[in-house]
Parts: sequence; structure tokens; C-alpha cells
Amino acid sequence: MTSSSAIDNFRRVFGRVPRHDFIGRTSEFERVVEQASSANAGRGLLLLMEPAAGVSELLRQSYDYLFNRRSEVIPIYFAFTRHETTAVSAAIEFLNSFLQQYIAFSRNEPALCHSTLTLQDLVELAPPTDLAWIDQLVQTYSRVRFSNDNKELVRFCLSAPQRVPPRAGRPFVMLDGAQLAEDMNGSVVLGPELLRVFSRSGSSFVLAGLRRQVLNAAREAECNFESLDMLRLQQLSTEEAHLLVDHVALRQQVPTSREVRDLLVQQFGGSPFFISSFLQAAREKNTALVSYLDCERLYVDELLGGHLRHYFDDLLEEMAPTLELRLALIRVLWEAVTSNEELTSVEAWRKRLQVAAADFEGILHHLHIYELINWSGPSADVTTGPQPWKDYLKANYRLNILSEPRALVVADTISDSLKRAPRTMARHYKELERIGLREVLNQFDCQRVPDVLFDYSGFAEKYKGASDNEIKSGLESETEFRKLPQTVHVASCSSFNSEMRQVCEAEKCVVAHCFDEGTYDDTQEVVWFVAYIEAKLEVDVELATIWYDRFDSLGQTLGIGRQQIWLISNEGFSSEACAFLAARSVATTSKRQLEILLNQIGDASQNAPGHLNNADEFLIVVPMGEENELLAANTVEHIARRLKFKPAEINQLKTAVVEACINAAEHSHSPERKIYQRFRVESDKLVVTISSRGIVPTNVGSGSISSSTNNNDDVADERRGWGLKLIRSLMDEVEFERVDEGTSLRMTKYIRNSAG
Amino acid sequence: MDISSGALIKSHCVGTIAVVYASDYLNKLTGEKIERECRRQLDSGCRALVIDFADTQLVNSIGISILLGIIDIAEKNGAKVIFADVNNQTVELFQMLGLTRHVALAKNEQEALSDLTHPDATPTIH
Repeated sequence: MTSSSAIDNFRRVFGRVPRHDFIGRTSEFERVVEQASSANAGRGLLLLMEPAAGVSELLRQSYDYLFNRRSEVIPIYFAFTRHETTAVSAAIEFLNSFLQQYIAFSRNEPALCHSTLTLQDLVELAPPTDLAWIDQLVQTYSRVRFSNDNKELVRFCLSAPQRVPPRAGRPFVMLDGAQLAEDMNGSVVLGPELLRVFSRSGSSFVLAGLRRQVLNAAREAECNFESLDMLRLQQLSTEEAHLLVDHVALRQQVPTSREVRDLLVQQFGGSPFFISSFLQAAREKNTALVSYLDCERLYVDELLGGHLRHYFDDLLEEMAPTLELRLALIRVLWEAVTSNEELTSVEAWRKRLQVAAADFEGILHHLHIYELINWSGPSADVTTGPQPWKDYLKANYRLNILSEPRALVVADTISDSLKRAPRTMARHYKELERIGLREVLNQFDCQRVPDVLFDYSGFAEKYKGASDNEIKSGLESETEFRKLPQTVHVASCSSFNSEMRQVCEAEKCVVAHCFDEGTYDDTQEVVWFVAYIEAKLEVDVELATIWYDRFDSLGQTLGIGRQQIWLISNEGFSSEACAFLAARSVATTSKRQLEILLNQIGDASQNAPGHLNNADEFLIVVPMGEENELLAANTVEHIARRLKFKPAEINQLKTAVVEACINAAEHSHSPERKIYQRFRVESDKLVVTISSRGIVPTNVGSGSISSSTNNNDDVADERRGWGLKLIRSLMDEVEFERVDEGTSLRMTKYIRNSAG
Repeated sequence: MDISSGALIKSHCVGTIAVVYASDYLNKLTGEKIERECRRQLDSGCRALVIDFADTQLVNSIGISILLGIIDIAEKNGAKVIFADVNNQTVELFQMLGLTRHVALAKNEQEALSDLTHPDATPTIH
């Protein structure tokens, strides 16, 4: 759709908004369309959606694009709705929709998609070339329909696209709302049946549903996961959500202010569904949204009687069919939310709800897949769930359980929302400039960084008052380095000890389980306790002591073997605090140091050999043995000549590469017997990485390496182990990179200015 | 000039001095060939060994460890060893690994032969 005529001729079929008003989801749209290509024939795409992340319009837009493209791909879009109550009725509806959309596409008449047509009407509308198979399909359907075998009927209907003759094109089915398929009554469980039929159909398809449910359905259907792709669909980013508000407000002719726009995005967590519904409500009620008050008034209206209420009512109705049960559920859920306990025993809920075990499990399952709770075995976390859900629960609790006057509930809810609005925005603004400890710790992956970044006292002594450039050049000449561990798990301290919630925010106090050197054994295991202390001045010794004692005690409670405490504060620590903490090997960092550390980690990650990322990088793979190390030596020689290394240096590079290859071949016991050599040219250096798969040597990082199975008794072997010594002498920097298996040795040689 | 059996190691004898020529790449394989040839020469009654590295461009640590083994063997046989025509980069490696503490270096084969024939002269270390 690049030419203006193509745009002019573009017809909307299912899309509810024009293509240009469909905000965000660009890459997801491209991915869905790509799924229809012949390269993906026989593959399914599971769209794993966060609740209310708005997948339907994505599929409808994809449909319209494919319809207008007029290629051999015949798009079919089918959305499960709550109107269909049984698997049989849903399957029949699918058959009808399929034929209707097939004929609409064949005849190039989009309007047919929306007509009310019987199967007989469809046979009459079928193009002559398709008449035979469509007629046959309808006749067979009539026979199967009355065979009393519901399973066969469901399968027959769902497999209708497979009956399209290859000459007619390739049907591409997009199924929307898979979660609803689970709730249908009858003898056939539609969700897994859908997956069974489509994953074995040989055609490409898309199945969109709640992320916590679709994967389970695929497992239940025993799908071959090798032929399934997955695409995760989350809420919109803040920028995309802003754009969505602007577009929808313009389309719906709802005046909005920037302040309200930003609040809406935060209040609804970037959910396209909530945002669009809300703006639609504003239009229906002819309400301008220019102030927080406008916004929260409408919000409470919506919560107590509009789209929001219907959305949550429908969810509750799905899991609790009777009013009595719904009210009981609202009661237990809201009381759990207000109990201040992160985890609640679900057994207590069951007793209060007085429902059978299977029904209760169904309720928990629904709450879990809609992410209104996190259910795990005997307990559930009720602190999750979007803010509108909690407001809905609270308002309904007060109205229906406590029977408070409606006017009071409305007034209080508006007031509460208004009071919360500035806090919501403040949290967002802080979030924008926040350095998330989880993100920081999760980036730890054996990088080498200047040790002074973990020593506030030393940093202040050297760099206090220095400019960024001065600090940068100073750090480059630092000689003391610290190798970060590899982090394997990070969680808030309160996840380990709920009392910690009283002393700091979850994101500012974390526990990271790590391994030094990225080596997974007991001796290298270490737990980092990290806190970001909010203070406008240097942290004094009293506060430092409190934090040290807090973590030390937590370590003992948790039975941690080896621990590292790391305290971070905006302005660092007083001299007395530094002395106290240094004596206890506590790492201390100011916000400035942390920012530098993040840059360094980022740089190190960027430099880590992952994918080949530019034209100055070369990768060769050679089999071990047969003097193939000479191929690597010749390669490095050619590259080094280009970089004008001196002949002696070239020889040093060649020798180092040869030694690294020999080490890889000797110690790895690599089953594939291959050596991977990567040469990266930078402005001032050449970085060579030699890797192999196989055994991780027992003493990587020490002066020499050996594999645990090496028991040679040859006299010559006593003199071996010189390889690493030579490499270290010949190269400027030598480091083992953390790898899960085998070895990866990174060697750097700098280009001297006097080279010629 | 003899061609050692089954290998491409060249050698020849000048009186009781054997001159063995290292190939362009000194590694385990070629190192072991040199070792075998040196043993053969010593067994044949040679009283000194000259290993000529004129063709040697690249050495690795395994090759160097084998050279140390040859020095040991020669010592046990009461034979002297001189390395001749070693390029600067290789000398640097020999020094790093302490080889030069155990062996004399000569500028070339002639100098090595001269040093061995006139034992009073001090071998040159390059």
C-alpha cells in the first residue's frame, strides 16, 4: 500500500478505525501479516496477550490489509463471543463465518462479510469455480449436523478451511478471544480442540488469547511447539499510549488536555482497551476531559455504570454465575486486598464462598488468567490487578456488601481518585528518572568494572568535583577492577521478608542471587543485598548501621552462606559511615557512581561477543586439530596488517591465537570439535575471542586452565599449561568470558601510535 | 645430508655434531619429529646437537616444551645443544618460558658449528 491509489482503494472490512488511526503495534501487525506468508505454511502463531492489551483491532487491521492485498492468501477472522454458549454453536458460527468471508474475498465484495446469510445463500453466492466444493461442504455439514456426534461436528466445522482446493488460494485463519472458547458448555472443550485442528491442518494460523491461558491450551492439545511461534502482546508504551489518546480523542471529538492525557495513560496502565472505552464514554456523554476533575468524574461514572463496569461485571459473571456468589467473591477479594498481606490462603476463601472444589478451582483459574490475582497452589497474591479493578471491587463492596448510600460511594470514589491522581503522576515522573535496582542487578554478567565504583570513599577522594570527562579519563587509568557476578535471580527484599515492606519501597531494596565468575558451584554462589537509600545528604553512620544490621539479620534468617551488602545513596556516605561499612566489606555507591557503573555495564555488554554487529567483525569456525589453528593465525595476521600492527606484534598476535586454539582443543573435550574465532576491529585495538563448547575448565580465571578429566602423566605435560602464560605476556588484556559450557577467551591488543 | 626416515625433518652430521632443521611451524607434531631425530642422532654417537630454526616462523608452547625435553635428553647423554638462527619473536618466547637459561643461541648454523668446534668461544645470544 505505497501508492496513493492503493490507499484510496483501501476498504475497511473489519477494522474499527482507519489504518492511520491504529496506534502502536506496528511490529506486531507486521508479524501477523508475515505469518500468512508461504514461508510460514503449517506454522501457528500464538498471540499471548496481557489482559485488556487490545488484540482484536490488531487482527482486524491485519485482516483488512490481507483482504485489500488481493494475494493468494484468503484472510479469515473469527472472534469468539460470549453469545456462543456451546462449542457446537461456536463451531457452526465459525463455519458460517469462514464461508461468508471466503466468498466475500473471492468475489472481492467486503460487504458480504457483514450480511446475514444462510448456508444456502452462500452456496448460491459461490463463484462457479468454487461451487462444487462449497456445495459438497454444506451437504456434508447437513449430514454431520444431525449425527449426534458433537465432537465430529465441531472438528468438521473447524476444519472447513482445509477443504479449500489449493488452486483457490491459502486460507489464513485468525482466531480472536481464545479465552472465551474455554467457557463454552457441552461435551467438547473447544480451546484445545481448536489448537488440535489448526496445528495439524498444514495451514498457517493465528490464535490470540490471554497469555496465561493460551499456552496451557496448547499443552493440553499436545501441540507440537516446534511448529508454533509466539508473540507477546503487552500494554502500550507510554509514548504509544499518549499517541492513542490523542488520536482517539480527535476521532471521538473529545477535547482533552495534556495533563488528562498523561493521567489517563497512567491510570489505565497503557491499556488500549480501557483508554479507547473511556474516550468512547466521554463522547457518548459529551464530556470534555480537560481537568483531573472531568476525568475522575467520568471514571467513577464508568466504574459504577459504564463500559468499565460492564467489562468487570462480565468477567465476574463468567466465573461466578449467581449473584450471591458474585457478591461473596467481591467480599473475599476486597477484604483480601485490604488485609495488607501480600499472599492470602485460598482455602479460607473456599470456605467463605461455600462452593465445590472444582467450581472454586474454576474461579481461581479465571481470576488468574485475567491477572486479577496471581494464584500459586495454596495461596494467591491479590495485590496484582489493574487499578480500575481494585476501584470496582471497592465500590461494589461498599455498595452491595456494606450497603452504603450510593451518593456517598460516588463522592468518596471521585475524591479518592482525585487525591490519587497527583500521586499517580508523581510516581510516574519518579519512575522516569528512577534507576531500577532490579534492572541494574539483572545486568550483572561477569563484567569487569573499576572497583572504585563500589567504594564511595575512594571515589569521592579521587573524583569529587571532577567533570564527567575527568572522571571518564580517570576511570580509564584505574588499575583495581572488580568482576561482577552473574545474577540469576532478583526479587524485592519484601518477597523474602514481608517486614521489609515497612522500611522501603519494593524496588529500592532487592536481593540478588548470583554466581561469581558465572560458575555454578557452591563456592561461587553469593547473595547480594542491595538498598537504594533515599537521602538528600550523605548517609550518616547511624543510618548505615541500621541498613547493615537489617541485611545482616536477613542473611542469617534466610541461611545465606556468602553475602555481599551493597548500599547506594543519592549523595554517598559520611566518612564515619564509609569506615564502618568498609570494615564490614559493604560496597558503597553514590547515585553518580551508579550512573557511571550502568554506562560501564552497558558498554561491556555492547562489547560482549554476541551477534556480529558491524562490518569490522569477522567470525571463522574451524574444526579442531589438523593444525587448523594456523588458519586462525593467518586470519589474524591479515587483519593485524590492515591495522598497521608492527611485525613483532603481528607475531605475538599469531602466537596468542594459536595458543588459545590449542587450549580450546585440549581442555574443552568438545563433542563437536569446533573452534569459534571472532575478530573485532576497533579504532584503537583488535579484540580476538576464541571459544569452544564442551567442559568448563576447573580453574578458569587463574593463571592456567585444566579440565577436570585431564590426568596425563607425560613428562612434557608437566611443562604444559604455558599457553595462558604466553597469551598473557603477548596480549594487553586477557579475560575468560562467562559461558555455560566450554571456554571463551577474549584477548585484546592495542594499536600503538608509533606503529608503522 | 640425511633425510630422517618417514618424516620431513632434515638433518646432517658434521663430525660428531648433528644439525637438525626445524620446519616453519614448531608444534607438537613437528616438535616430536625433531625430538625423534635428535634421539636418533644421539644414539648414533653424536656428541652435540644444533637445531636450526632458519625456516621457523611460528612456535607454540607445546613445541617449546618438547624442545626442553630435547635439552634434557642431550644433557643426560652428555651432549651440548645450540639453537641456531632463531628469529627475534621466537627468542622472545624462549625467554618468556625460561628456555634460554638452558640452551645457547647462535646467529646461524656456521656460528653454532664453530662454537661447538671451538668450545672456548662464547656462543652469541641474540
